[in-house]
Amino acid sequence: MKELNPNIDTPQNPEIPHQNCAQDFEIEHKQLKEEEQEHEEEELRRLLLPNVEELPDIPPSAVDANFTTFFAPDFMKPGHDQYVHRHANGLCVIGLAPTHVAFKDKGGITSVDFNVGKSDRSGIKVTGKRKKNAQLFESNTALCKVCTSDSSYIVRCCVKGSLLEVNDRLIKQPELLNTMAEREGYIAIMMPKPADWLKAKASLLSLDEYKKLRTEL
Amino acid sequence: MATAGATADGNNEEERVNSSIKAENDDLKLLRDSVRALPTQPLKDLLSNGVCARCIFRLFSLHEQICSRPSLVTPILSTILREVTEYEGDGVSSSPRETKDLSDLESLREVKEEIKVCSVCLGILQFLYNDDNGTLVKKDSAGDFAGAMEEVVKQEGHQIDSFSLQVSLPQDVVEKEQAVWLYIKEKYSSESWFLEKFPPEGFATKDFLKLSVTNPLETLLGVKSNVSSFRVRLTYTLSDASTRNQHLREKNGFCKRRKTDDSDNFKKDGGFHRVEGHDLTRNSSTDLEDGRVGFLKFPLEKVNQCCSLNFQCYRTSVYVGGRYLKYSRNVSQTRWIIDDERMGEASVEEIVGGNILPMCQGDTYKFHAAGREDIDVRMLGTGRPFLVEIQNARQVPSDVLIKDMENKINSLESKFVKVKNLKVLGNQGWELMREGEAEKQKQYSALVWIPRPLIDDDVQTLASLKDMQILQKTPIRVLHRRSPLEREKTIHWMRIERIAGSSQYFLLHLCTQAGTYIKEFVHGDLGRTHPSIGSILKCRAEILQLDVTDVKMDCFQA
Repeated sequence: MKELNPNIDTPQNPEIPHQNCAQDFEIEHKQLKEEEQEHEEEELRRLLLPNVEELPDIPPSAVDANFTTFFAPDFMKPGHDQYVHRHANGLCVIGLAPTHVAFKDKGGITSVDFNVGKSDRSGIKVTGKRKKNAQLFESNTALCKVCTSDSSYIVRCCVKGSLLEVNDRLIKQPELLNTMAEREGYIAIMMPKPADWLKAKASLLSLDEYKKLRTEL
Repeated sequence: MATAGATADGNNEEERVNSSIKAENDDLKLLRDSVRALPTQPLKDLLSNGVCARCIFRLFSLHEQICSRPSLVTPILSTILREVTEYEGDGVSSSPRETKDLSDLESLREVKEEIKVCSVCLGILQFLYNDDNGTLVKKDSAGDFAGAMEEVVKQEGHQIDSFSLQVSLPQDVVEKEQAVWLYIKEKYSSESWFLEKFPPEGFATKDFLKLSVTNPLETLLGVKSNVSSFRVRLTYTLSDASTRNQHLREKNGFCKRRKTDDSDNFKKDGGFHRVEGHDLTRNSSTDLEDGRVGFLKFPLEKVNQCCSLNFQCYRTSVYVGGRYLKYSRNVSQTRWIIDDERMGEASVEEIVGGNILPMCQGDTYKFHAAGREDIDVRMLGTGRPFLVEIQNARQVPSDVLIKDMENKINSLESKFVKVKNLKVLGNQGWELMREGEAEKQKQYSALVWIPRPLIDDDVQTLASLKDMQILQKTPIRVLHRRSPLEREKTIHWMRIERIAGSSQYFLLHLCTQAGTYIKEFVHGDLGRTHPSIGSILKCRAEILQLDVTDVKMDCFQA
């Protein structure tokens, strides 16, 4: 609040009281605005905080929540168990199921090589919304070769479709397969046509069926 | 002329009528004199070639006199012309026709003369046209024509403070104009009167039409004509046969099609609608021998049918802008229907647009927003800028009405959506929104879970990372419809807020570059977004909820 300095020489002029009035109003207005803002921020904080009692101890993972997982046991060869995470949008993430024989070898998987079949799968570049230059592979087409200290195993598509991407991080970090095969250790992403998916699905197992099958042993 | 016993009012009325009759007579006399000053040869020539009175006056620059008198009926103009061309004398007023007064000329209005469609303007300046029902319509004067237009405008019910008159004529008319002007020039250039009486440029049909209609329309509508958002549009067209020729010429680059405006998708018409007339004019320009594209040969062929007129009056788009907040995790931004089924309970678009539209009494609306959020993500805090485009609004909402709109939307029972800072904008609304949309930063609050208790180091680590670059491959959840790319994005800052009662859940507040996929930044998208919260904290991280808390753009703030 501006105070009138009684030592100023200037004559008391009738505008000054008016000025004070205007300044008061401005200050009040500012205070109101600040209060309003504070109130809004309070509101926001309140909205953002969750109700702790309602939170699950262990929430579903991103994979669980967004994909449905199927299994292909003994794909083309005994013990070659693979999984297919299918997203609601139709894309399929292919990888090694936890019961795959490769994991039974001492030291687990030591290297991954995408140069199989006719081409190096890690070299393909798919571009554009329509993914026109993606290669169409059959379900038994080889995706890569995983090696352990003892032996090597071929990983296949399991599903007929266009190959969109392979996980080339596996080249430098093959250990991802040993620790997180179901997530960061995925092998590739495929895009099957709806009809092809239905055909493939018919021979895949659900999680329950797969568990049952593998725990019986 | 006072009659005994008449009231003072009656006297004034009579005087006024008498003086206006006198004025009209004077006007006509002036017009007659101007016409008499013209050379009769070309007038006869043009008349015999089926050119209408107004076109003839147009060619000889009498348009000002004609257009300033919108009540001049066609028969009067024709009569004046006939007088002059049949009159062979030297200007001495001996003919009994000269003494024709107004009442005599009035009677001409009743005369049902057979109208021949003008070979140049195709009936346009004769106010002769086919309306949408295919009915032939004839108005006698510009004033009457304007009257018919006004009726339709009134019917549509727009609240206006101005209007803009727009006229579109068939290319044929422009060519015929040029042809007839060229003809006169070539045939009579050696005459004594040529330099003095024949103007260097003919007054265009389009301009003549606008000039004669604008003033009476201003009077009838009670508003001025200027650059206005309320458009009154006259579109004259020919029948199928001739429009094919028109397209041909357009391909040759001869005709420039002017884009109307942003309301091209406007559907509703005014009272007159277009119907194909049966115009039998064959244009000789299609069989030109010497590549002089577009110049017709005079005399022009006889015209049997006139143009079709499409009359539209509409307002250009009105924009209402503001910011919206979305409180529900089951409401999409725009209407989202898959296989006839709606996704989510409602949409921001329908709630906001659907309430603004009736208050502007518009035909349709379009919803535009600066970016978007997923259906399960709330939009809180400052809100997201949006624009609702109202097409053909009958009224432009006032400030009071805008406030009403805001209150109405904010007091809806469902409480899904709120709006702020609602305001009517012009076209600049677009620029405001688009400007820097890609550069602007966004702020979020995410509910994150990790499989181990949170420690102080975690909080410190995230707080210390400023302007961190991350690489995101196109998330799997959108990979089916987007290009597989790797995008570099910036995380400007992050802050952990602990949640009382939980050691593994926390709120992550972060500010990122526009276009960053937050969910994927938290859970890592199977390692395809790197770094991610999980990789930084060296454990798995899951996101349960996401809220947008700030869209950092300057537009539509208080």
